[in-house]
Amino acid sequence: MNWFVFAFVSWVLFGVELALLPILDAGDRGVHASMIIPLLTFIALYAPRKQAMWSAIILGVVMDLLSPMAQIDGGSAFIIGPHALGYLLACHFVLAIRGSLIRRNPLTLVIISIAASFIAQIAVVALFTLRNLGTNPLIWDAGDQLVQRSFSSLYTGLSALALSIIFFALAPTFGFHSTVPTRFARTIK
Amino acid sequence: MQHQPLIVRWSMPITIVLLFVLALAPVRLIGWTSWFNAQTIVVFMPVANPIGSALDFIIPPQAANRGASERERELTGEIDRYRTQLLQIKHENDRLNELIEQFSRGAQITPNLDVRQIHRPRISSLYNDTLVIRTGKIDGLTQGTVVVVDAVQLLGKVTRVNARTATVRMITAKSAQQIMATVLLNDEGSEQVSCLLTPVGDGTLIGEVARSSADDSWGQLVGREVRLLDNQWPQHAQMLVIGTIERIQRNDTQPLRQRIIVRPTIKDLRRVPEVILRLPAEGDAGSGSGSDSIIGGSP
Repeated sequence: MNWFVFAFVSWVLFGVELALLPILDAGDRGVHASMIIPLLTFIALYAPRKQAMWSAIILGVVMDLLSPMAQIDGGSAFIIGPHALGYLLACHFVLAIRGSLIRRNPLTLVIISIAASFIAQIAVVALFTLRNLGTNPLIWDAGDQLVQRSFSSLYTGLSALALSIIFFALAPTFGFHSTVPTRFARTIK
Repeated sequence: MQHQPLIVRWSMPITIVLLFVLALAPVRLIGWTSWFNAQTIVVFMPVANPIGSALDFIIPPQAANRGASERERELTGEIDRYRTQLLQIKHENDRLNELIEQFSRGAQITPNLDVRQIHRPRISSLYNDTLVIRTGKIDGLTQGTVVVVDAVQLLGKVTRVNARTATVRMITAKSAQQIMATVLLNDEGSEQVSCLLTPVGDGTLIGEVARSSADDSWGQLVGREVRLLDNQWPQHAQMLVIGTIERIQRNDTQPLRQRIIVRPTIKDLRRVPEVILRLPAEGDAGSGSGSDSIIGGSP
Protein backbone atom coordinates (compact mmCIF):
# COMPACT_ATOMS: atom_id res chain seq x y z
CA MET A 1 0.00 0.00 0.00
CA ASN A 2 1.17 3.48 -0.81
CA TRP A 3 1.32 5.17 2.63
CA PHE A 4 1.62 8.65 1.15
CA VAL A 5 -1.70 8.28 -0.70
CA PHE A 6 -3.27 6.85 2.45
CA ALA A 7 -2.02 9.83 4.51
CA PHE A 8 -3.22 12.34 1.93
CA VAL A 9 -6.70 10.79 1.54
CA SER A 10 -7.06 10.50 5.33
CA TRP A 11 -5.99 14.12 5.75
CA VAL A 12 -8.57 15.33 3.23
CA LEU A 13 -11.35 13.12 4.61
CA PHE A 14 -10.78 14.15 8.22
CA GLY A 15 -10.87 17.79 7.11
CA VAL A 16 -14.06 17.27 5.10
CA GLU A 17 -15.70 15.41 7.97
CA LEU A 18 -14.86 18.16 10.46
CA ALA A 19 -16.11 20.85 8.07
CA LEU A 20 -19.34 19.00 7.37
CA LEU A 21 -20.12 18.12 11.00
CA PRO A 22 -22.64 20.96 11.53
CA ILE A 23 -24.19 20.52 8.08
CA LEU A 24 -24.65 16.77 7.91
CA ASP A 25 -26.03 16.10 11.37
CA ALA A 26 -29.24 14.14 11.23
CA GLY A 27 -31.41 16.46 13.29
CA ASP A 28 -30.08 15.32 16.62
CA ARG A 29 -26.58 16.32 17.64
CA GLY A 30 -24.12 13.49 17.60
CA VAL A 31 -25.71 11.58 14.72
CA HIS A 32 -23.51 12.18 11.70
CA ALA A 33 -22.09 10.24 8.79
CA SER A 34 -18.49 9.12 9.08
CA MET A 35 -16.08 9.55 6.18
CA ILE A 36 -13.34 7.67 7.95
CA ILE A 37 -15.12 4.34 8.42
CA PRO A 38 -15.66 3.89 4.65
CA LEU A 39 -11.95 4.63 4.13
CA LEU A 40 -11.06 2.10 6.81
CA THR A 41 -13.38 -0.47 5.23
CA PHE A 42 -11.95 0.18 1.78
CA ILE A 43 -8.41 -0.32 3.02
CA ALA A 44 -9.36 -3.41 4.99
CA LEU A 45 -10.98 -4.85 1.85
CA TYR A 46 -7.93 -4.41 -0.34
CA ALA A 47 -4.72 -3.84 1.63
CA PRO A 48 -2.44 -6.52 3.06
CA ARG A 49 -3.45 -7.64 6.52
CA LYS A 50 -0.77 -5.89 8.59
CA GLN A 51 -0.95 -2.63 6.69
CA ALA A 52 -4.74 -2.58 7.04
CA MET A 53 -4.47 -3.08 10.79
CA TRP A 54 -1.88 -0.34 11.21
CA SER A 55 -4.05 1.98 9.11
CA ALA A 56 -6.99 1.27 11.42
CA ILE A 57 -4.90 2.10 14.48
CA ILE A 58 -3.63 5.35 12.94
CA LEU A 59 -7.13 6.45 11.90
CA GLY A 60 -8.47 5.55 15.34
CA VAL A 61 -5.78 7.45 17.21
CA VAL A 62 -6.43 10.55 15.10
CA MET A 63 -10.16 10.19 15.77
CA ASP A 64 -9.43 9.93 19.50
CA LEU A 65 -7.38 13.11 19.32
CA LEU A 66 -10.26 14.94 17.63
CA SER A 67 -12.95 13.74 20.06
CA PRO A 68 -12.83 15.71 23.31
CA MET A 69 -14.67 14.02 26.15
CA ALA A 70 -16.50 16.15 28.68
CA GLN A 71 -15.32 16.03 32.26
CA ILE A 72 -17.45 16.64 35.31
CA ASP A 73 -15.27 19.61 36.35
CA GLY A 74 -16.12 21.42 33.10
CA GLY A 75 -12.89 20.54 31.32
CA SER A 76 -12.30 18.10 28.53
CA ALA A 77 -9.94 15.21 28.03
CA PHE A 78 -8.61 13.40 25.00
CA ILE A 79 -8.61 9.67 25.65
CA ILE A 80 -6.36 7.80 23.24
CA GLY A 81 -7.39 4.22 22.66
CA PRO A 82 -11.14 3.64 22.38
CA HIS A 83 -11.50 4.60 18.72
CA ALA A 84 -8.15 3.04 17.82
CA LEU A 85 -9.16 -0.30 19.33
CA GLY A 86 -12.68 -0.03 17.93
CA TYR A 87 -11.38 0.60 14.44
CA LEU A 88 -8.89 -2.23 14.81
CA LEU A 89 -11.72 -4.59 15.75
CA ALA A 90 -13.78 -3.38 12.79
CA CYS A 91 -10.77 -3.87 10.51
CA HIS A 92 -10.29 -7.38 11.84
CA PHE A 93 -13.93 -8.13 11.07
CA VAL A 94 -13.54 -6.97 7.46
CA LEU A 95 -10.29 -8.89 7.08
CA ALA A 96 -12.03 -12.04 8.31
CA ILE A 97 -14.85 -11.88 5.80
CA ARG A 98 -13.28 -10.16 2.81
CA GLY A 99 -12.52 -13.43 1.06
CA SER A 100 -16.22 -14.10 0.57
CA LEU A 101 -17.18 -10.61 -0.58
CA ILE A 102 -17.68 -9.12 -4.03
CA ARG A 103 -15.22 -6.31 -3.43
CA ARG A 104 -15.81 -4.32 -6.60
CA ASN A 105 -19.48 -3.75 -5.88
CA PRO A 106 -20.14 -0.33 -4.24
CA LEU A 107 -22.93 -1.88 -2.20
CA THR A 108 -20.38 -4.14 -0.54
CA LEU A 109 -18.56 -1.08 0.73
CA VAL A 110 -21.87 0.39 1.94
CA ILE A 111 -23.02 -2.70 3.84
CA ILE A 112 -19.59 -3.53 5.25
CA SER A 113 -19.08 0.12 6.29
CA ILE A 114 -22.32 0.04 8.27
CA ALA A 115 -21.40 -3.27 9.92
CA ALA A 116 -17.82 -2.14 10.63
CA SER A 117 -19.09 1.11 12.08
CA PHE A 118 -21.47 -0.78 14.37
CA ILE A 119 -18.64 -2.97 15.62
CA ALA A 120 -16.27 -0.05 16.12
CA GLN A 121 -18.87 2.04 17.95
CA ILE A 122 -19.89 -0.83 20.23
CA ALA A 123 -16.23 -1.29 21.14
CA VAL A 124 -15.86 2.46 21.79
CA VAL A 125 -18.96 2.55 23.99
CA ALA A 126 -17.81 -0.58 25.85
CA LEU A 127 -14.37 0.88 26.55
CA PHE A 128 -15.67 4.23 27.75
CA THR A 129 -18.27 2.48 29.91
CA LEU A 130 -15.58 0.23 31.33
CA ARG A 131 -13.35 3.15 32.23
CA ASN A 132 -16.28 4.97 33.81
CA LEU A 133 -17.02 2.05 36.15
CA GLY A 134 -14.36 3.39 38.48
CA THR A 135 -14.07 6.96 39.65
CA ASN A 136 -13.44 8.53 36.29
CA PRO A 137 -14.60 12.09 35.95
CA LEU A 138 -16.07 11.80 32.44
CA ILE A 139 -19.64 12.69 31.56
CA TRP A 140 -20.82 9.54 29.84
CA ASP A 141 -24.23 8.01 29.21
CA ALA A 142 -23.68 4.59 27.62
CA GLY A 143 -27.28 4.02 26.50
CA ASP A 144 -27.59 7.43 24.92
CA GLN A 145 -24.22 7.10 23.21
CA LEU A 146 -25.09 3.67 21.88
CA VAL A 147 -28.28 4.96 20.30
CA GLN A 148 -26.50 7.98 18.75
CA ARG A 149 -23.63 5.90 17.45
CA SER A 150 -25.95 3.20 16.06
CA PHE A 151 -27.85 5.79 14.05
CA SER A 152 -24.53 7.30 12.97
CA SER A 153 -23.49 3.86 11.71
CA LEU A 154 -26.61 3.63 9.57
CA TYR A 155 -26.03 7.16 8.30
CA THR A 156 -22.47 6.19 7.42
CA GLY A 157 -23.94 3.98 4.71
CA LEU A 158 -24.81 7.12 2.74
CA SER A 159 -21.32 8.56 2.93
CA ALA A 160 -19.90 5.15 2.02
CA LEU A 161 -22.07 5.08 -1.10
CA ALA A 162 -20.80 8.50 -2.18
CA LEU A 163 -17.19 7.73 -1.29
CA SER A 164 -17.20 4.34 -2.99
CA ILE A 165 -17.11 6.10 -6.37
CA ILE A 166 -14.06 8.12 -5.32
CA PHE A 167 -12.31 5.18 -3.69
CA PHE A 168 -12.77 2.85 -6.66
CA ALA A 169 -11.45 5.58 -8.94
CA LEU A 170 -8.44 6.09 -6.68
CA ALA A 171 -7.81 2.38 -6.09
CA PRO A 172 -4.82 2.11 -8.47
CA THR A 173 -3.02 5.00 -6.71
CA PHE A 174 -3.26 3.20 -3.37
CA GLY A 175 -1.04 0.49 -4.82
CA PHE A 176 -2.64 -2.48 -3.13
CA HIS A 177 -0.74 -5.69 -3.81
CA SER A 178 -2.48 -8.16 -1.59
CA THR A 179 -3.51 -11.67 -2.47
CA VAL A 180 -6.86 -12.44 -0.90
CA PRO A 181 -7.87 -16.10 -0.89
CA THR A 182 -11.52 -16.40 -1.85
CA ARG A 183 -13.81 -19.10 -0.64
CA PHE A 184 -15.42 -20.19 -3.88
CA ALA A 185 -13.36 -18.87 -6.76
CA ARG A 186 -9.82 -18.25 -7.86
CA THR A 187 -7.52 -16.07 -5.79
CA ILE A 188 -8.09 -12.35 -6.31
CA LYS A 189 -5.05 -10.16 -6.83
CA MET B 1 9.32 -19.41 9.49
CA GLN B 2 9.54 -15.79 10.72
CA HIS B 3 12.48 -13.71 9.59
CA GLN B 4 11.30 -10.38 10.93
CA PRO B 5 13.13 -8.72 13.82
CA LEU B 6 11.57 -9.27 17.24
CA ILE B 7 10.45 -5.65 17.60
CA VAL B 8 8.56 -5.80 14.28
CA ARG B 9 6.84 -9.05 15.21
CA TRP B 10 5.80 -7.75 18.61
CA SER B 11 4.96 -4.18 17.57
CA MET B 12 1.25 -4.88 16.99
CA PRO B 13 0.57 -6.69 20.31
CA ILE B 14 2.58 -4.06 22.19
CA THR B 15 0.58 -1.28 20.52
CA ILE B 16 -2.73 -2.96 21.35
CA VAL B 17 -1.75 -3.40 25.01
CA LEU B 18 -0.56 0.22 25.12
CA LEU B 19 -3.85 1.43 23.64
CA PHE B 20 -5.80 -0.60 26.20
CA VAL B 21 -3.74 0.92 29.02
CA LEU B 22 -4.22 4.44 27.64
CA ALA B 23 -7.95 3.87 27.09
CA LEU B 24 -8.42 2.86 30.72
CA ALA B 25 -5.84 5.15 32.34
CA PRO B 26 -7.08 7.83 34.77
CA VAL B 27 -7.59 11.22 33.17
CA ARG B 28 -4.99 12.92 35.38
CA LEU B 29 -2.30 10.68 33.87
CA ILE B 30 -3.09 11.50 30.25
CA GLY B 31 -3.06 15.28 30.31
CA TRP B 32 -0.19 15.21 27.81
CA THR B 33 -2.61 14.08 25.07
CA SER B 34 -3.86 17.66 24.71
CA TRP B 35 -0.50 18.59 23.16
CA PHE B 36 -1.09 15.94 20.48
CA ASN B 37 -4.62 17.25 20.04
CA ALA B 38 -3.21 20.72 19.33
CA GLN B 39 -0.86 19.30 16.70
CA THR B 40 -3.69 17.27 15.15
CA ILE B 41 -5.81 20.39 14.86
CA VAL B 42 -2.91 22.22 13.19
CA VAL B 43 -2.62 19.37 10.68
CA PHE B 44 -6.30 19.09 9.76
CA MET B 45 -7.48 22.69 9.88
CA PRO B 46 -5.93 23.66 6.52
CA VAL B 47 -8.52 21.33 4.96
CA ALA B 48 -11.45 21.80 7.31
CA ASN B 49 -11.30 25.60 7.50
CA PRO B 50 -11.52 26.43 3.75
CA ILE B 51 -14.26 23.84 3.24
CA GLY B 52 -16.14 25.25 6.24
CA SER B 53 -15.80 28.79 4.88
CA ALA B 54 -17.00 27.66 1.46
CA LEU B 55 -20.00 25.94 3.05
CA ASP B 56 -20.80 29.06 5.06
CA PHE B 57 -20.77 30.98 1.78
CA ILE B 58 -23.06 28.46 0.06
CA ILE B 59 -25.33 27.81 3.06
CA PRO B 60 -25.07 30.94 5.21
CA PRO B 61 -25.53 30.39 8.95
CA GLN B 62 -28.89 31.72 10.09
CA ALA B 63 -28.69 35.08 11.83
CA ALA B 64 -30.83 35.99 14.82
CA ASN B 65 -33.25 38.22 12.83
CA ARG B 66 -33.31 36.84 9.35
CA GLY B 67 -36.04 39.10 7.99
CA ALA B 68 -34.58 42.31 9.39
CA SER B 69 -32.58 44.85 7.42
CA GLU B 70 -29.01 45.75 8.30
CA ARG B 71 -30.12 48.91 10.15
CA GLU B 72 -32.84 47.05 12.06
CA ARG B 73 -30.35 44.40 13.08
CA GLU B 74 -27.92 47.09 14.23
CA LEU B 75 -30.62 48.74 16.35
CA THR B 76 -31.81 45.42 17.75
CA GLY B 77 -28.24 44.56 18.66
CA GLU B 78 -27.86 47.93 20.37
CA ILE B 79 -31.08 47.38 22.33
CA ASP B 80 -29.88 43.92 23.33
CA ARG B 81 -26.58 45.31 24.56
CA TYR B 82 -28.25 48.09 26.57
CA ARG B 83 -30.81 45.70 28.02
CA THR B 84 -28.03 43.37 29.07
CA GLN B 85 -26.16 46.27 30.63
CA LEU B 86 -29.32 47.45 32.38
CA LEU B 87 -30.08 44.01 33.75
CA GLN B 88 -26.47 43.50 34.77
CA ILE B 89 -26.54 46.82 36.58
CA LYS B 90 -29.82 45.90 38.25
CA HIS B 91 -28.39 42.58 39.28
CA GLU B 92 -25.19 44.25 40.37
CA ASN B 93 -27.24 46.78 42.34
CA ASP B 94 -29.06 44.03 44.18
CA ARG B 95 -25.80 42.26 44.81
CA LEU B 96 -24.16 45.44 46.09
CA ASN B 97 -27.07 46.11 48.39
CA GLU B 98 -26.55 42.67 49.83
CA LEU B 99 -22.85 43.35 49.94
CA ILE B 100 -23.33 46.50 51.99
CA GLU B 101 -25.15 44.41 54.52
CA GLN B 102 -22.32 41.92 54.44
CA PHE B 103 -19.71 44.67 54.80
CA SER B 104 -21.36 45.79 57.93
CA ARG B 105 -20.85 42.28 59.21
CA GLY B 106 -17.22 42.26 58.19
CA ALA B 107 -17.56 40.35 54.92
CA GLN B 108 -14.80 40.37 52.35
CA ILE B 109 -14.64 42.76 49.45
CA THR B 110 -15.70 41.26 46.11
CA PRO B 111 -13.25 41.22 43.21
CA ASN B 112 -13.26 43.86 40.52
CA LEU B 113 -15.61 43.14 37.64
CA ASP B 114 -13.56 44.66 34.81
CA VAL B 115 -13.68 42.43 31.78
CA ARG B 116 -11.40 42.21 28.77
CA GLN B 117 -13.16 41.14 25.58
CA ILE B 118 -11.31 39.41 22.78
CA HIS B 119 -12.76 38.70 19.36
CA ARG B 120 -11.39 35.55 17.82
CA PRO B 121 -12.46 33.44 14.84
CA ARG B 122 -13.77 29.94 15.12
CA ILE B 123 -11.41 27.54 13.41
CA SER B 124 -13.63 24.49 13.25
CA SER B 125 -16.08 22.27 15.04
CA LEU B 126 -14.92 19.12 16.73
CA TYR B 127 -16.88 16.04 17.70
CA ASN B 128 -19.16 16.13 20.79
CA ASP B 129 -20.43 19.69 20.20
CA THR B 130 -17.20 21.52 20.78
CA LEU B 131 -15.57 24.35 18.85
CA VAL B 132 -11.95 25.16 18.30
CA ILE B 133 -11.05 28.84 18.43
CA ARG B 134 -7.87 30.57 17.38
CA THR B 135 -6.50 31.74 20.69
CA GLY B 136 -5.11 30.11 23.78
CA LYS B 137 -2.66 30.64 26.59
CA ILE B 138 -1.11 33.42 24.51
CA ASP B 139 -4.18 35.57 25.30
CA GLY B 140 -4.41 34.46 28.90
CA LEU B 141 -7.30 32.04 28.44
CA THR B 142 -7.97 29.55 31.18
CA GLN B 143 -10.38 26.67 31.61
CA GLY B 144 -13.77 28.18 32.35
CA THR B 145 -13.35 31.41 30.34
CA VAL B 146 -16.78 32.60 29.23
CA VAL B 147 -17.44 32.70 25.49
CA VAL B 148 -20.23 34.75 23.91
CA VAL B 149 -21.56 35.60 20.46
CA ASP B 150 -23.16 38.87 19.31
CA ALA B 151 -21.95 40.52 22.52
CA VAL B 152 -24.69 39.05 24.73
CA GLN B 153 -25.57 35.55 23.54
CA LEU B 154 -23.86 33.04 25.80
CA LEU B 155 -22.06 30.36 23.80
CA GLY B 156 -20.25 28.31 26.40
CA LYS B 157 -17.08 27.88 28.39
CA VAL B 158 -13.50 27.12 27.45
CA THR B 159 -12.77 23.53 28.42
CA ARG B 160 -9.22 23.07 27.20
CA VAL B 161 -6.49 25.59 26.47
CA ASN B 162 -3.44 24.96 24.34
CA ALA B 163 -0.77 27.50 23.40
CA ARG B 164 -2.61 28.93 20.38
CA THR B 165 -5.94 27.13 20.27
CA ALA B 166 -8.71 26.52 22.76
CA THR B 167 -11.64 24.13 22.90
CA VAL B 168 -15.05 25.51 23.80
CA ARG B 169 -18.02 23.43 24.92
CA MET B 170 -21.35 25.00 24.02
CA ILE B 171 -24.12 25.43 26.56
CA THR B 172 -26.34 23.31 24.30
CA ALA B 173 -23.94 20.35 24.22
CA LYS B 174 -25.44 17.30 25.81
CA SER B 175 -22.34 16.87 27.96
CA ALA B 176 -22.50 20.50 29.16
CA GLN B 177 -23.37 21.24 32.75
CA GLN B 178 -26.82 22.32 33.91
CA ILE B 179 -27.36 26.08 34.14
CA MET B 180 -29.37 28.12 36.61
CA ALA B 181 -31.27 30.72 34.63
CA THR B 182 -33.93 33.33 35.08
CA VAL B 183 -36.94 33.87 32.83
CA LEU B 184 -37.86 37.52 32.35
CA LEU B 185 -41.62 37.71 32.67
CA ASN B 186 -41.75 41.32 31.46
CA ASP B 187 -39.55 43.58 29.37
CA GLU B 188 -38.32 45.56 32.36
CA GLY B 189 -37.12 42.44 34.07
CA SER B 190 -38.87 43.36 37.31
CA GLU B 191 -40.66 40.01 37.33
CA GLN B 192 -38.45 37.00 37.03
CA VAL B 193 -38.71 33.32 37.73
CA SER B 194 -35.73 31.04 38.04
CA CYS B 195 -35.26 27.60 36.53
CA LEU B 196 -32.60 24.95 36.12
CA LEU B 197 -31.85 24.31 32.44
CA THR B 198 -30.52 21.02 31.15
CA PRO B 199 -29.08 20.71 27.62
CA VAL B 200 -31.07 18.24 25.54
CA GLY B 201 -28.52 17.65 22.80
CA ASP B 202 -30.55 18.97 19.87
CA GLY B 203 -29.56 22.61 20.29
CA THR B 204 -32.10 23.39 23.00
CA LEU B 205 -32.22 23.39 26.79
CA ILE B 206 -35.09 22.17 28.92
CA GLY B 207 -36.12 23.28 32.39
CA GLU B 208 -39.08 23.46 34.73
CA VAL B 209 -40.73 26.71 35.66
CA ALA B 210 -43.15 27.16 38.52
CA ARG B 211 -46.01 29.66 38.34
CA SER B 212 -47.73 31.14 41.33
CA SER B 213 -51.24 30.24 40.25
CA ALA B 214 -53.00 28.09 37.70
CA ASP B 215 -54.57 31.27 36.24
CA ASP B 216 -51.27 32.46 34.79
CA SER B 217 -51.24 31.76 31.09
CA TRP B 218 -48.33 29.56 30.06
CA GLY B 219 -48.67 30.68 26.46
CA GLN B 220 -47.41 34.14 27.42
CA LEU B 221 -44.04 32.65 28.27
CA VAL B 222 -43.30 31.65 24.70
CA GLY B 223 -40.77 34.07 23.24
CA ARG B 224 -39.64 35.32 26.65
CA GLU B 225 -35.95 35.79 27.20
CA VAL B 226 -34.02 33.47 29.46
CA ARG B 227 -30.82 34.80 31.00
CA LEU B 228 -27.98 33.37 33.01
CA LEU B 229 -28.13 33.73 36.77
CA ASP B 230 -25.83 31.07 38.11
CA ASN B 231 -23.25 31.32 40.87
CA GLN B 232 -21.16 28.66 39.11
CA TRP B 233 -20.45 31.19 36.36
CA PRO B 234 -18.31 34.33 36.76
CA GLN B 235 -19.96 37.52 37.95
CA HIS B 236 -19.42 39.28 34.63
CA ALA B 237 -21.36 36.55 32.80
CA GLN B 238 -24.52 36.98 34.84
CA MET B 239 -27.59 38.09 32.88
CA LEU B 240 -26.13 37.15 29.51
CA VAL B 241 -28.75 35.74 27.14
CA ILE B 242 -29.16 31.97 27.10
CA GLY B 243 -32.00 32.12 24.60
CA THR B 244 -35.72 32.51 24.25
CA ILE B 245 -38.50 30.13 25.19
CA GLU B 246 -39.39 28.25 22.05
CA ARG B 247 -42.31 26.26 23.43
CA ILE B 248 -43.90 24.94 26.59
CA GLN B 249 -44.12 21.22 27.13
CA ARG B 250 -47.24 20.12 28.97
CA ASN B 251 -46.78 18.48 32.33
CA ASP B 252 -50.21 17.12 33.25
CA THR B 253 -49.10 15.69 36.58
CA GLN B 254 -47.90 19.11 37.80
CA PRO B 255 -49.99 21.90 36.27
CA LEU B 256 -48.08 24.60 38.18
CA ARG B 257 -44.69 23.33 36.97
CA GLN B 258 -44.39 23.19 33.20
CA ARG B 259 -41.34 22.43 31.12
CA ILE B 260 -39.89 25.18 28.99
CA ILE B 261 -37.80 24.55 25.88
CA VAL B 262 -35.18 27.27 25.42
CA ARG B 263 -33.30 27.84 22.18
CA PRO B 264 -30.38 30.27 21.79
CA THR B 265 -31.08 33.33 19.65
CA ILE B 266 -28.55 32.01 17.15
CA LYS B 267 -29.98 28.83 15.72
CA ASP B 268 -26.77 26.86 15.33
CA LEU B 269 -24.04 27.86 17.74
CA ARG B 270 -21.61 25.50 16.05
CA ARG B 271 -21.50 27.65 12.94
CA VAL B 272 -20.74 31.06 14.37
CA PRO B 273 -17.88 32.64 12.41
CA GLU B 274 -16.30 34.32 15.43
CA VAL B 275 -16.69 34.44 19.17
CA ILE B 276 -15.99 36.90 21.96
CA LEU B 277 -14.05 35.77 24.99
CA ARG B 278 -14.69 37.55 28.26
CA LEU B 279 -11.62 37.61 30.48
CA PRO B 280 -10.94 39.36 33.75
CA ALA B 281 -9.09 42.58 32.85
CA GLU B 282 -6.54 42.33 35.62
CA GLY B 283 -3.12 40.86 34.88
CA ASP B 284 -1.56 40.78 31.45
CA ALA B 285 -4.12 42.84 29.59
CA GLY B 286 -1.54 43.90 27.05
CA SER B 287 -0.81 40.47 25.64
CA GLY B 288 -2.51 39.11 22.54
CA SER B 289 -2.71 40.35 19.02
CA GLY B 290 -6.41 40.62 18.22
CA SER B 291 -8.99 43.32 18.79
CA ASP B 292 -9.35 43.71 22.54
CA SER B 293 -11.56 46.03 24.53
CA ILE B 294 -12.08 46.59 28.21
CA ILE B 295 -15.50 47.19 29.68
CA GLY B 296 -15.76 48.44 33.19
CA GLY B 297 -17.85 47.09 35.97
CA SER B 298 -19.40 50.50 36.45
CA PRO B 299 -21.77 52.06 33.88
